[in-house]
This record gives sequence, C-alpha cells and structure tokens, in this order.
Amino acid sequence: MNNFSFYKGCKAFYCLFFLGCFLSSSFVLASNSLRQQQPNLSQKLVQGSITDGTNPLPGVTIAIKGKANSATISDHTGQYSMIAANSDTLVLAFIGFKTALVPVNNRQTINVVLQYDVMALQEVRVNAGYYTVKESERTGSISRVTSKDIEIQPVTNVLAAMQGRMAGVDITQQTGTPGGGFDIKIRGQNSLRSDANSPLYVIDGVPYSSDPIGSSQTSTPYPSFSSPLNGINPDNIESIEVLKDADATSIYGSRGANGVVLITTKKGKKGKTSFSISSSTGVGKATTFLKLMNTQDYLAMRRQAFINDGLTQYGLRDYDINGTWDQNRYTDWQREILGGTSQINDVQGSASGGSEKTQFRLGGNYHQESTIYPGDFRYKKGGAQLNVNHVSEDNKFRFAFSGGYDSQNNKLPSFDLSSVVRFIPPNGPALYNADGSLNWENGTWQNPLRNLNAEYRSKTNDLIANTVLSYEILDNLTVKGSFGFTDLHTIETRTVPSTIYNPIFNVSSDRSVIYQNNTDRSSWIIEPQINYERTLGKGKLDVLLGGTFQNQVTSTLYQLGAGFISNSLIYNLSAAKSVLVTNNDETQYKYQAFFARANYNWQQRYILNLTARRDGSSRFGPGNQFATFGAVGAAWVFSRESYLQESQWLSFGKIRASYGTTGNDQIGDYQYLNTYSTTGVNYGGTVGIQPSRLFNPDFGWEINKKLEFALELGFLQDRIFTTASWYQNRSSNQLVGIPLPGTTGFSSIQSNLDAEVENKGLELTLRTVNFNNTDFKWSTNFNISFARNKLLRFPGLEGSTYSQQYRIGQPLNINILYQYKGVNPQTGVYEFEDYNNDGNLTIADDAKVLANLNPKFYGGLQNQLTYKRCSLDFLFQFTKQKKRTYPLGLAGVMSNQYRKINDSWMQPGDNAPYQIFTTGYNFDAVLADYYYSTSSATVTDGSFIRLKNIAFSYNLPLLLKETNCKIIIEGQNLVTFTKYEDGDPESIPGFLPPLKVITAGVQLTF
Amino acid sequence: MKNLITKLLYLAGFLLLLISCDSFVETDLPKSQLNNEAVFEDYATATAALTDIYSKIRDNGMLNGNGIPVQLGSYTDETDSFQSPSSPSEAFYQNRLLPSSPTIQDWWNVAYNQIYAANSLIEGVQNSKNLSEQNKKQLQGEALFIRALIHFYLVNLFGDIPYVIETDYRNNSKIPRTSTQNIYNNLIADLQNASSMLPETYSPAQRVRPNKFTARALLARVYLYNNQFTEAANEASAVLNQTGLFSLEPDLDQVFLINSRETIWQLQSANAGENTVEGSIFIFVSGPPVLALTENFVNSFSAADLRKSNWINSVTDDSTIWYHAFKYKERSNTPASVEYSVQFRLAEQYLIRAEARAHLGNLGGAREDLNKIRERSGLGQTTAQSQTEILNAILQERRWELFSEPGHRFFDLKRFGQLDNILSAVKPGWNSEDRIFPIPQNELNANPNLLPQNPGY
Repeated sequence: MNNFSFYKGCKAFYCLFFLGCFLSSSFVLASNSLRQQQPNLSQKLVQGSITDGTNPLPGVTIAIKGKANSATISDHTGQYSMIAANSDTLVLAFIGFKTALVPVNNRQTINVVLQYDVMALQEVRVNAGYYTVKESERTGSISRVTSKDIEIQPVTNVLAAMQGRMAGVDITQQTGTPGGGFDIKIRGQNSLRSDANSPLYVIDGVPYSSDPIGSSQTSTPYPSFSSPLNGINPDNIESIEVLKDADATSIYGSRGANGVVLITTKKGKKGKTSFSISSSTGVGKATTFLKLMNTQDYLAMRRQAFINDGLTQYGLRDYDINGTWDQNRYTDWQREILGGTSQINDVQGSASGGSEKTQFRLGGNYHQESTIYPGDFRYKKGGAQLNVNHVSEDNKFRFAFSGGYDSQNNKLPSFDLSSVVRFIPPNGPALYNADGSLNWENGTWQNPLRNLNAEYRSKTNDLIANTVLSYEILDNLTVKGSFGFTDLHTIETRTVPSTIYNPIFNVSSDRSVIYQNNTDRSSWIIEPQINYERTLGKGKLDVLLGGTFQNQVTSTLYQLGAGFISNSLIYNLSAAKSVLVTNNDETQYKYQAFFARANYNWQQRYILNLTARRDGSSRFGPGNQFATFGAVGAAWVFSRESYLQESQWLSFGKIRASYGTTGNDQIGDYQYLNTYSTTGVNYGGTVGIQPSRLFNPDFGWEINKKLEFALELGFLQDRIFTTASWYQNRSSNQLVGIPLPGTTGFSSIQSNLDAEVENKGLELTLRTVNFNNTDFKWSTNFNISFARNKLLRFPGLEGSTYSQQYRIGQPLNINILYQYKGVNPQTGVYEFEDYNNDGNLTIADDAKVLANLNPKFYGGLQNQLTYKRCSLDFLFQFTKQKKRTYPLGLAGVMSNQYRKINDSWMQPGDNAPYQIFTTGYNFDAVLADYYYSTSSATVTDGSFIRLKNIAFSYNLPLLLKETNCKIIIEGQNLVTFTKYEDGDPESIPGFLPPLKVITAGVQLTF
Repeated sequence: MKNLITKLLYLAGFLLLLISCDSFVETDLPKSQLNNEAVFEDYATATAALTDIYSKIRDNGMLNGNGIPVQLGSYTDETDSFQSPSSPSEAFYQNRLLPSSPTIQDWWNVAYNQIYAANSLIEGVQNSKNLSEQNKKQLQGEALFIRALIHFYLVNLFGDIPYVIETDYRNNSKIPRTSTQNIYNNLIADLQNASSMLPETYSPAQRVRPNKFTARALLARVYLYNNQFTEAANEASAVLNQTGLFSLEPDLDQVFLINSRETIWQLQSANAGENTVEGSIFIFVSGPPVLALTENFVNSFSAADLRKSNWINSVTDDSTIWYHAFKYKERSNTPASVEYSVQFRLAEQYLIRAEARAHLGNLGGAREDLNKIRERSGLGQTTAQSQTEILNAILQERRWELFSEPGHRFFDLKRFGQLDNILSAVKPGWNSEDRIFPIPQNELNANPNLLPQNPGY
C-alpha cells in the first residue's frame, strides 16, 4: 500500500474506515475505555480544517488525548468540529500520515497540516482470518492487495486482480473467453492429485467453496469446468490477504495446506451519507494470433506434398488445390473470426454513511461484455451488496452484517472457435452468401461459423451473507459469534442444434440435442469465539478460542434432451422427444473444528504466536475424521532494541520464523464409504448397482509441514522497505489411488501413500518511495518469487498409474518426452533417439527427456506516480518459464500451418528445421510427426514480460464542495514481450488467449 | 455482582456450544449411493447388485461377445483375422500374446472385478438380517455360480490362478496362485452349493438368470474337464432329464432364438431391440471382412450337414468367397430383441455325457448321445466303434456343433492333448507354450506372490 495516490479520491476514506473497524473491534481500545469521565466545565466548541499542505484531508480521526469516546472525523472538505477543553490535547490520526498532537491552548479554530509518514504502513492491521495483526508485529507470511490496486483493473475475476502483485502467488488465466477460469498456486503444487491444490477462499469469514460447478457436457467453452469464483465482484473488495506459511495457515488446519485467500468486502463509514457512481466503457481484443501461412505459401506446400508423395493427380476432396476453390482468395481466418472487438460496459454505485454507532454501505454493480466472435454473445453480471455495522451505546455489543447477491448470465458459442480457425486453408471460401446466409460452398467445406449456432448458456445466482455478533463480557473478555450462509444456483446448458449441419443434408430439429446441468450448492457456518486479552509482565497476552461448525450440500442434476419439434423450443426439455437423466446426486460435506491462538507480545519487540486447530471432516471415515494441526511463529523486531532505535538509516528491522503443520482434505466426499452406486445399466428389467470402490475407511489427511524464515528491513524512514522470505513446505501422507493387483477386484484404492512433495523457494519484495513532494510522488513495488518443486518419494511409482507422469527427484509439472535429433538430411524425416536401439520408439523405454514446465521465477513491478491531480499506475508482470509449442499437425495435408514451416526439407542434402511435406502417404513422416509432437523439439522458451495493467486518472478541479470527479483510463494486457511464437505465452493451446482491454470511465463522488 | 454471575452464565453457555459431539461430522449418504449393508436388507436392491454382474459379464471382459468367442476362434483354427498388425486381435491370431497385452490385462482385471462383486454379494447376503432364507439362497446360489464360472474360464486360459473367495483387499493383493487341482476342487464345491441353493425354475422366464440346472450344467463341464467322468455323466443326465424344461430344437435356425428350449442360460441385452454382440461381429455383408471362418473349417463339414447350410453363411466379392458364423442371425437392432447371447445349451450336455460315457466304457450310451446331435444336423449315425474312435468323433462333433461359442475349440483341443498336433499345422506362430496365456505384467509387478510368469513368456 502506498501513501500517495492513497490520499487521492476518497479511497483513503474507505481505508480509514476499514482500519477503524479493525481498531474498534480489537481489544486495545475496548479495554482502555475509562469507566468514569470527569465532566469538564470549561468545554467549548473547537473547529478547523485539516490538510496535507495543499489538499484537504477527509476522514482524519480527531480525538482528545486521554478521553475515550471523544473521537470525531473530518468531513469531505477536511473540516471538523468537536467539544474540547482548553487544557485538552487533540490527537489527529490518519493512515499514511504521522499522528499529530495539538494542544488546544484556548484556541477555537485549530487548522492542522499533517505530515506524510511512510512508516505508517507498518501500523496497518492486516486480516489474518480469525484475528487481525499489526503489520509490524505479524509473525506469519501474509501478502496483501487492497482496493486501490483492485479498482484500477478492468477485470471481472478476483484472481485476475491479484495477478503479478503478490510474491509466491502464481496465477494464470486459462482463457480469454468471458466467465473463464484462472489457475492459482500458492507456493507451488503440494498434492499429487492435480485437482487438489486449490487454496481455501474465505469471504468476510465465510468459507466459499471453489469446487467447480460446471460439467463435462456443458462447460465446453472453457478448458476446465466453470468456477464459482466469477460470482465475486472485485470492485466490492476492500482487501485480499493471502496467508502462506504455517503461522498464518495452521489456524485453518486441514484446509490450509494450499494457502488461504481472505477476501474482505467494503464497509460503511460514519459521517454524512456519501454517494459514489462510476461508469466505464471499453474494448477488448485478442492479445496475439499465430503466424500462419498465406495462400501462396500454403498452396506451394500442398503442391510440394503431392510431388513428395509421388502423386500426379489431386484427389477429389483436395478442394484447395484441385480447382474447386478459388486459389487467389486469401483470408486471414484468425482475424476474420477472432479479430472482433469485445464491448465492455461497467457501472458501479454505492452509498455509504451512518452515525457514530451505526454505519452502512450499499453497493450495486452491473457489468456487460460482448465477445470477439461474430454474433450476439455476451456476458452479463450484476450484483448488490449491503454492509451494516452497529455498536451499542456502551460499546460492549457489536454487530456487523455483510450480504452480497450476484447474478451472472452468460451466452457464448458452445466451444472456443480458436481451436478450429487455425486449421482452415487460407484460400477457403467466403463465410456468407450474398443473401447473408452461411455459405457451404456446395458442401465442400464445414463453414466454421456453423458452430456459432451451438450455444452455451449459463445463469448463476449467488448469495453470500455473514453476521458477526460480539459482546464484551468483562473488560478483557469478549465473546463473538460469526454466522455465515452461502447459496448458489446455476443452470448451464449447451445446445447442438440441427442448424450446425449443412442444410443439403436435411437434418431436422429431430436431431437437435440439449445438455443441461443444474448445480445448487448451499452452506452455513457458525463460528463461536472467545477473546481474552491482558498484560502479563512487560508484555501483552492475546488468547483466542473458537469453534467451527459447517455444513455444505451440493446437488447436481444433469439432463440430456434430444429430438425437438422446432429448434426454437430447444431450451424446453418438455418439448424433447426423449429426456435422459445422466446424473442426479446430492452430496453433503460437514466440518467441525476447534481452534486456538495465543499471542504474547513483549514490548513490541519479541512476539510469539501459537496457533492450533483440531479438525473433523465428513470426508474421512470413522476414526480418521479428527486431526490436530498447529504452528509456532516468532518475530524479533530488532529495530526497536535500544541500540538501534536511534539509527539514522535503519528504520525497521524484523526477523521472523515459523514452523507448523496444515492439512489438505480435497479428496471429494464419501470416498471412505462402503457403498454401491447406480450404474444406469439395465438387466432383466432391473437397473444395476455396483460396488463403488474398494472399502478403505482408514485414510486420513495429507499433511503439509511448512517452515519459513523471513527478514524485513526498512531504511530511511521506510522509504526503502524490503522483505525476503525463504520457505520449505513438505507435503506427505499423499492421498492417491494406490495401485493394486487386479485380483483385488479394482486397480487402486484411495489411501495415504508415503509419497512426499517438496516446495522450496525464496520470495523477495521491495517497496521504494522515490519522490515524496507535495506535487510529485513516485513509488515502486517489486516482487519476485523463485520456486522449486520436487517429488521426494513415491514408493511403487513404476507400477502405478502415475509412472509416465512423475519422476522421483523431479518437479510434478514435468513432461516426459522423446529426444529429438533433427531432420534426416537424406529422408527428410524427423529423427529421435532410440535409447534401447530396438527400432521402435516406446514411451516406457525411449521417452527420457524431462521438461520442467514450472516457472523458474515470476513476479511483478509496479510504479505509482502522482503529479498534482494526475496519477499513473502501471504493473509489469513477468515469468521465466519453459513452455510446450503447439504443432499444427502434419504439414502438407489440407490444413494450414505456421509460416515458419515454409522452412522445411525439400531435397536430399537439405539441413532444414522441419520435415518433408506429405499428404499422409509418407508413413514414416506421419509417424515422425506424431513423435515430434511429444518430443523435446516442442519445448521452448515461454518466458514473457507483460504490461499487465496501466491506469491513468485525473481528478477534475471542481469548484463544488464535497464533490469529487475523476476521469480514469485503464488498460489490461496491453503489451507483451516474449519469444514464444505459438500463441500467447499464458494461454492454453486451442483456447482464446487473454484479451487486451482498454476502458475509460468517470467516477463521481458526492 | 449479580451482573458478573449473569455474564459468567453466558460464558458457560457459550463454552457448552463449543463442546459438541463427534456425530456432527457424520453425513447422510449421497443420492446415488447405497450403503453396503442397506443393499442387502432389501431383495430388490440385492437383486440389482446381482443382475449388474450379468450386465458386466455381457458387456466386458472374457465372456463379452467380442471376448473369448472372437479371440479364441482366431487363436485356434476356427477363424482368420484380417486386421491391422497393431490391432490387439492380431496378437491372438498370430499366437503372439505378451504379458503387456492390453486385452489380457483387461480380461484379468474385469474377471476379478466380477468375482469381487460376487463375493461382495455373498458376504452381504450372509450378514443380512431382513432377507428371507429363500431369497438368500437364490442370491447366494447365483453369486456362487458366477464366481465358479469366471474362475473356470480363468483357469483354462491362465493355468494356476488365485481362487478369490473374499473381498478383503489386504489378503487379495498378496494372494498366491492356487494349483489347478485345488481350483477344480473349489469350482466343484461352489457349484454343488449353488445347485443346492438355486431353484429349478427360471425367473424371469426368459432364462436370463441361472437356475439349478445351469449350475449343474457347468458342474458337468467342470467334472468332465477334471476327468471325473461318472460325476460328469450324472450331472449332464440331471440336466438332460429335465425334459419339461429342455429339449433340442429340431430346427437349427431356432436354436439361438430367445425362446429356444435348448437354452440353459443366456445373457439378456441391455435395451429392448438390441441383439447380440456376437452377431454384430461375426456377421458381415460385404468383403473383405475383419474376421471370417477358415476355409479348412468350412470344408471339414460334410455336404449333408445342416449346420453348414444353416449356421454358416458366405459372402463373395466375385473373386473371393468368405464365410461367417451365422448361428446368430441379427447383426443389429430389431424392433424387439430376438436373440440373446447363449452361454449354456443342451447340445453341449449331450456331448459331455457322450464323452464321459465313452471314458467310462459305456460306448453304446456314448454313441447314443452323439447321434442325438448328428441326427438333428441331418447326419447319419456315427460309424465310430472303439473308445478312441468315439472320443475322436466327439472331438470332431464338438468342433462342428460348438464353433464360435465361448472357447470350446481351444479348451477341447487342450483337454484332448491335441493342441500342438492340430494347431502347429495351420498356425505358423504356434508353439506348445501357447496353451496357457501370460499373467499380465502389471499383475506380477503388483503382486510378486504370483511369480514366476507362465512358461514361454
């Protein structure tokens, strides 16, 4: 967090209140409240304005030293007024500024200029889930992104907003299609099961399941099943904290192994009701296209292929060169079909205000974007949020409510057209006839736009609500109850209408099919807690005890309807000739835990933090449902030692370390049960049931032991602040299907395997304040993460189903490939190393090249510049990695190729990088092409540097008081520097790369 | 003070909230699953668990129409296979099976999965409190029959294999081989139990679930293979004597229809209108086919043999003529199913008794049974006189009568000690170690107690 742009545009106001909420809910203030206040007879009204020297500062807390309940807050123009006595001293506190002590001294008007304080960032309280902790005093590893960084990004997914901004958090966007998902790995892959590495998401204290809500039959536009995370509106988020090490995650026990993502929504602030409206509009385009052949090169390749194969006549179906199609046509199919522009519109509004004791915030948002495809496709998203906080007159009872309802409505082509356009010959026919109908060119091609008739639609409604009640029983003892509820409903459909077929085949709506997936998920959680706080010796002891009871029910209904009287009735299952239920299930997940934390803070110098959790989960069988996790964390703030306190250059110094255990229970529900499940197969009039699995009730949690050492240093009043953390996480007791001999009836059994995965790494962050003048401010944030992943042990790997996926001593994310030797100059065919010289290439014997596809390092560089009313913020994201290329298949068949393939072998003696063209008759070349695609030749440099985000804003000089108007221009993914040629270095082959987006908007606050 | 007490009471209540019983994390079953115990407290669900095994036998593994009936036909001298060299079927045709062969692995795994399901049913029914004794007997009898059936085929393909009688994976994953003799002892015990538990009637009527006589028919075969000829003859007689249930269909074209009186047990198709996998694979309407009867086999029939005209069909493309098995007449769906996959039929019982009687010296009885089959096929009485002649005639007759039915030719040649003699003449890749299949390599890797590999692999 940076103090400069922070002050601009009321965001400071939000943050202040956020801070205020934390402060007020902690016991520091609560316990200091004095019971008896002496009435002071000489009280009078004091007023004034607060500025930073040039601009007024709204939201500054003004209190009287030594008097509780005396605080007030400056308004939008920086004005304040309060009752004070002549002998009083005012305490003015504002985040990002040095706290000022101003004696009243018989004055009635007191104007104050606050001084910027970069060190104040160390005083921010960060959310650690069940408790908050001062940044300078935390013992755990917590990364943080706040609203000021989130708001400037034109993104709809919360994970997109975090990309490149946090050390140790590796996020990749899977597709540029709206509503698509992101991969997130916090400090690497811990579990051998690739689908069991998600962090735990907690929104305002309510765990939010990220388990997919899509199905294989319907989520076809995306590389993976639809994720519920799109339901969260990033613009409603105040802060995101990512908990990484044992000290921070052990209190989340069995669900903390892969890290914890805490999302805190914006809260109301006291004072005059203020309104904020922002609206933006923008455009998105695909970041990159493949460099494919033009017609001339393509036809030359085709002709050569026929010559190479010794064929003298073109085939009947070789429409591209046998004269059926115009050989002078040229269409860049990628530009034609994927080159469109996505229109983006976004509106946000909020009202916030309240009294000293009760505050509220009401927010609403609407987002709409079209796709880059031709046709009427769009993604709509809207939502409303309400937050209410209340504290009783005696400050003992507190109440906080936050509720959000989000609705998404998505309509897309049923699959990503990127997968087909790259193969269309560049001299392919026109898309449309003169009358605007699809051109089928007499049945000689499959018009790619036919696929637009097959639609994907989804509607998701999602409710998240949470209430926290707390009561201060004694001065230092508070009880608290947190009650959360989530309710998600989604309907996802995919149609395959008869109109995707050429009309000459007379396929009627009788052949049309719809797949429908209804998934509902609801959960509730109750978390009672007790907080106890007291001084002990020269230090302070904080104790927290709590419990969790959670219940989650997911129900699914997958249906297939086939044969409709009309395609316009395709969304009506009752109009289908036959309806088949392919899956109907309801699963329940129950979870119970007790947790505790004890924190001892000796003079803010030596801090010891102990956390523990005892967890019970319905995912495990009797006797294995409960397990205990715990961690110890310690910090030494050596800069507060007397011998360093006066140091001119060292302003902050801390060493912290932690060690502890967390678990992973992402194995799906009911795996321990001894059950029969329906097969759907009929025999003798009875639908069969079969044993679901081998019965093993004896498996338990994966255990992740985390160790971390970190050093945090601040120099020159923290204008240079750097942190370095080293970690080592070892995940053992891996839950996998252990291979079994067939005589057991099954090939494997779900069980804990004595396999161990290690993630080790170093994370560095650097924050510098380069300029800090009144008019010009410039600060820089940099983070970089080096990570290494290694499979330490895996007994029986050879005979297991993982034998061709993993190698001991290697990272989990490896590809096992053939060794490519080059093109044989005589035959023109690719050659590979045949290690056992048996004349055959077999995976088991000859695939020996291990390609490590994990990033070597990754990170981000952010700069924030403010000059008077302008501010500029930009973020470069970078990743150093190897990536597989994406060969387009056999060169010479009727399918387009990369432009680089022009450089192929032509005649004996050639030394070319690509092999001989063939129409498929050269069997050696066909086979070699297949091996090529799984050989070391396909491993290339996939590193990139990307201008992930750029935002420019200008605060209009308005004469109106209490009104603020800002013009904002935001860009995402605008520039990418990479050597990778086969598409976007971040995307998955065959799917749309992330879009580059630019939007312009206005924000009005009054 | 009063205030403080109230507060302490609040606190105590709050603490009580924290202490709850472990039962909170117990969940109800998902909609699509049934608790193991619950399955066997209800006859309908227990039946579903049982009949699902028949679906699996029909759809997967050895006894699927594309399993033994096809592959052992081309492994021996019944059929020629014309598939690409990389096709798994070609490995059978060329007698070059490997321990890594995916088909071998599949048959093995599927077989033991079916055995697991049968054992699970036996254990479940045993512990059931609500099922009636009669229902228990029915279910256990069928499960024992299934267990014996699968093990029977396994031992004849793979030699000494583990005879698995429980579901505990801890034991089954380390199980050693069972000697062939002990396997036969187990088969006999299981089938005797099954036949004592099963009813004499069929339910449902279409003979799609085994009854007492199905168990005895398999028992007759098992005794015969185990050279217990008296018992084999007795069991076959027990079946043959059920003239109220069974009789030879005089018309050969009726033998494989759903309502054939000759059928002892058949596997029902999954959906109405479906016919057999065998039909869809054996029958072709234009050449060249992927699978055709060998000329040698087709020419071995005498011209008068009705089986040649009724059970074999020819297809020609002007230059070449190919033959296919035509016992099943339907290669695709019909409005209502007309054929199911027949596993046991009466003709085999006549031939079993004939062979047993021949071994026992009852040559007259043997000839009588043999002639029953010959007469239906339009052939005259056998001319075989001596015991050896009669046994050879029976082997020959079995070839004509039972071709394309699961594994008979291979097992018969093996039993008669004629494998090398007959096959090395027509199969260039044949060697005598091909009489048993290799144990799948993964199986040996996972369970070293099964070592060593069968000879020759």
